[in-house]
Amino acid sequence: MTEDITVKVDNLTFTYERGPLALENVSFEVKKGEILGILGANGAGKTSLCFHLNGIIPTVYAGTEKGRITLCGLDPWETPILEMSQKACMVLQDPETQFTTTDVESELAFGPANLGVEREEIFRRSAWAAEVCGISGLEERKPQELSGGQKQRVALAAGLTMLPEVLILDEPTSQLDPVGTGEVFDVVNHLANTEDMTILITSHKTDEVARLATKVLVLNEGRVTDFGPPREVFEKTELLDSIGVNPPSVTSLFSKLGAKIPGFKERYEKAGGIPLTVDEAESQLKKFLDEGFIKLDWKTPPAAPSVAEEVVLEMDDVTFTYPARIPVTALKNINLQVNKGEYIAIIGQNGSGKTTLVKHFLGLLEASEGVVRIEGEDASELTVGSIAKSISLILQNPDYQLFSISVEKELEFGPRNLGLSDEEIKERVDNAMREVGLEDVRDIFPFRLSFGDRRKVAAAAGIAMDPEILILDEPTTAQDFKGRHVLCQIAARMRDQGKTIIMISHDMDLVATYADRLVIMSDARIIANGSKREVFGMDDVLKQADLKPPQITQLCRRLTDYGIEENLVTVDEMVDIFKAGGA
Amino acid sequence: MAFEYVKKDTPLDRMNPLVKLLFMALALLLVIQVWNVESISILLIWIAMATAWWIVGKVELRNLGFLLKLLTFLFVFLFIVQGLTYRFGDQTVIFKFFHFPIIDADTGLPVTNYGEMTVGGILYGLLIALRVVSVVTVIPIFTMTSSIARITAAFAKIRVPEKMAFMFMTAFRFVPLVQESMDNIIEAQKIRGFDLDQAGYIDKVRRAYIPIITPLLLLMFRRAMDLEVAINARAFGARKDRTYVQDVSFKTRDYLGILVVFASFGLMMYLLYIEPTYITWTYLTMLVAAVAGGLGMFFSAIGLDAAIQNLNNFLLSLPGLDVVGGYFNQYVLAGYGAVFIVVVVLLLVIWFIRRRRRRRKRARKK
Repeated sequence: MTEDITVKVDNLTFTYERGPLALENVSFEVKKGEILGILGANGAGKTSLCFHLNGIIPTVYAGTEKGRITLCGLDPWETPILEMSQKACMVLQDPETQFTTTDVESELAFGPANLGVEREEIFRRSAWAAEVCGISGLEERKPQELSGGQKQRVALAAGLTMLPEVLILDEPTSQLDPVGTGEVFDVVNHLANTEDMTILITSHKTDEVARLATKVLVLNEGRVTDFGPPREVFEKTELLDSIGVNPPSVTSLFSKLGAKIPGFKERYEKAGGIPLTVDEAESQLKKFLDEGFIKLDWKTPPAAPSVAEEVVLEMDDVTFTYPARIPVTALKNINLQVNKGEYIAIIGQNGSGKTTLVKHFLGLLEASEGVVRIEGEDASELTVGSIAKSISLILQNPDYQLFSISVEKELEFGPRNLGLSDEEIKERVDNAMREVGLEDVRDIFPFRLSFGDRRKVAAAAGIAMDPEILILDEPTTAQDFKGRHVLCQIAARMRDQGKTIIMISHDMDLVATYADRLVIMSDARIIANGSKREVFGMDDVLKQADLKPPQITQLCRRLTDYGIEENLVTVDEMVDIFKAGGA
Repeated sequence: MAFEYVKKDTPLDRMNPLVKLLFMALALLLVIQVWNVESISILLIWIAMATAWWIVGKVELRNLGFLLKLLTFLFVFLFIVQGLTYRFGDQTVIFKFFHFPIIDADTGLPVTNYGEMTVGGILYGLLIALRVVSVVTVIPIFTMTSSIARITAAFAKIRVPEKMAFMFMTAFRFVPLVQESMDNIIEAQKIRGFDLDQAGYIDKVRRAYIPIITPLLLLMFRRAMDLEVAINARAFGARKDRTYVQDVSFKTRDYLGILVVFASFGLMMYLLYIEPTYITWTYLTMLVAAVAGGLGMFFSAIGLDAAIQNLNNFLLSLPGLDVVGGYFNQYVLAGYGAVFIVVVVLLLVIWFIRRRRRRRKRARKK
């Protein structure tokens, strides 16, 4: 049976040179054709583990290692990376950084060409990989002409042309919209099933992992917390929550119902175990309801807080075209009003114009047609610097937003521009640091921090401005479960103080939990604008924008016959409406 | 990027990059041999031929316009400096700034007058400008019709080490990245309330531009590190005999290209050394003289000529400037000083008008 095991990690301990302990006594094994999902909070050691398997450690990064790894019968520490790379192929988090060449065609050929594979064979492999990853026809594109999802699939295809036996994907979907994520996971599924490839995938998107993975490995601070089939692992919802991994919503729902209703746990265990997907949850709940084991006790969820009449931001028939060789119209006839004290989420596919839209609110872009008004003033007449004094925009990529020598200086930059006194600046900086939890790294050079922490610094810099309007562009990128909620909670607290929040996000659960109003963008237009419960019920619109409502809402809509009157959006709301049946 | 490769299915596209590289090398070789004003015609023929390549390669001619626009300043500078200092050829004076001949020490006769702009000088300026254009028009034929992949493959063919070729390719990839990163960082500073539009010049440099350098460098280092991971993971450098997917073997088309390149170069050499032709030269002299004469007449008609000379005379009469120097006389400098002042005043007026017409952004009231 030993031939069947493709990856075997035995008591692996690793410390980076001049760095922290990254992995401690990690052991697991993966069989051929299996998909292993690796979960864990930021800094849990997921990437370090991946780097071990294809020989990036120790070739590129050095450190001390104990334990033993066997991958397809080879030891990555003994085998040169050039040989390892033919066995194990790794796709990194940011597809942008993996482009080694200037067009898709040469990108796909790069690996095999390095190995001296014959030309005809390279063409054959490229065609196959492009086909599998659904990027046929894009061969002549340049990296900057591809969408995020396409780039990620090109990176995947470029790995596949090496014909690896093991595919290692490090958060391949963290920057992708739900559709892009689905596309990538579908490719992964296809490869494991039809090509019998062994796949290791790290991700924060547990619902997708739960759907596909054969086994799940949970890491926390470099140690294995759990390892086993997804159903067994995800069942331990409280354990997972405590280490910053969120199980799929339906799983959490069942776990919470189990705690609330006596005997519920035994029931679902008998019925096939805790559900991981909406379908499973639906059939089980229907069964329990039909049997009368549980009853539905409708409670109307709390209404969204009322909003002041005062309009702070307004877009009046705005159209915007990026000037280029082939001009791209990124906004078409946008009409939008934002009232004071609202918490709005803008959702939509990558490239649907969300970031372009919010950049108009700061005057970073000027409408080609139409007017943008900031508290009644025409934005095109104002300098960006002066608008920024009351509106903060926290952009996606932190690396472009940090330019000071310490975290403290970074946070001071904004308030100093406001012309505040030294005491006031200090107070604001301290406050912002406390909010995001960066007090320990005060004097550290921002670039030395992890990606997730750099994002927090960028966010704190925006918060230190104490703006009237806070705009968050994708606060979830590369943030683990906890990090996402921290940022959104800060925003929610600011809203309670009467500030206005606009958030762009792909994370439907997050949007559902925090926002009150949803704006859906698709193909440069706003196609829906309304309260979250209303918008998550618009199936056609969601489909047009290639979005999926949160698992809980999906479940609600399938149970309307049982007396669910409105769309619920969070686990807690749903837990509330069920009670024990019986006499 | 204006001179990036865009795929167009033309014969030039399919041609081996080495042929185009040869074309560039020969352009340089030609230019260093042409230093005689009378050979202007040869450069003109060469430029005409290069433009024909542009048309075959379907490279937009407006790119040529853009190139020339970039070089305008250089050309104007060349015309003026050469016009005032080059003292061979046609000595017809177009415009006279001031009168101060340099007296030859032996004969006691006036020899040169650096206050006069001559036709011969302008023609020499034109020659230098055309030498620049001859090389510059050939460069886009190489860069805009060859994909980076093909260029690297071609480099490999002439035994440029694989690592060098990869470095070349990476440099190409990093240029737009640097630009993008810079724009983003400036944007981020504006977002944090730094009023770049209203900041003073020194404040801009001190607070905005200098801090950009650090993150930019670090960002590039990080990119480089990621790239190292990416290329290692794909077995870069695994074998000496790497495959090149791009077919860069020489085809009929390429031999034909080489033939055309050498033939054009040969023709130039023939015209230059064996059959020097002065046809264009004669016409050009007539044209330049006519245009220049017309301009000169126009200037004296509106009195500019006299005004500048008066101003110069005034400057020359100032006691402080009344120093007798060596060969390059101080007076001469003082004389040009008037021209300098006129130019500065003109620029100031233009700048002021522009400033007035530009829509000013304002700070928010609140």
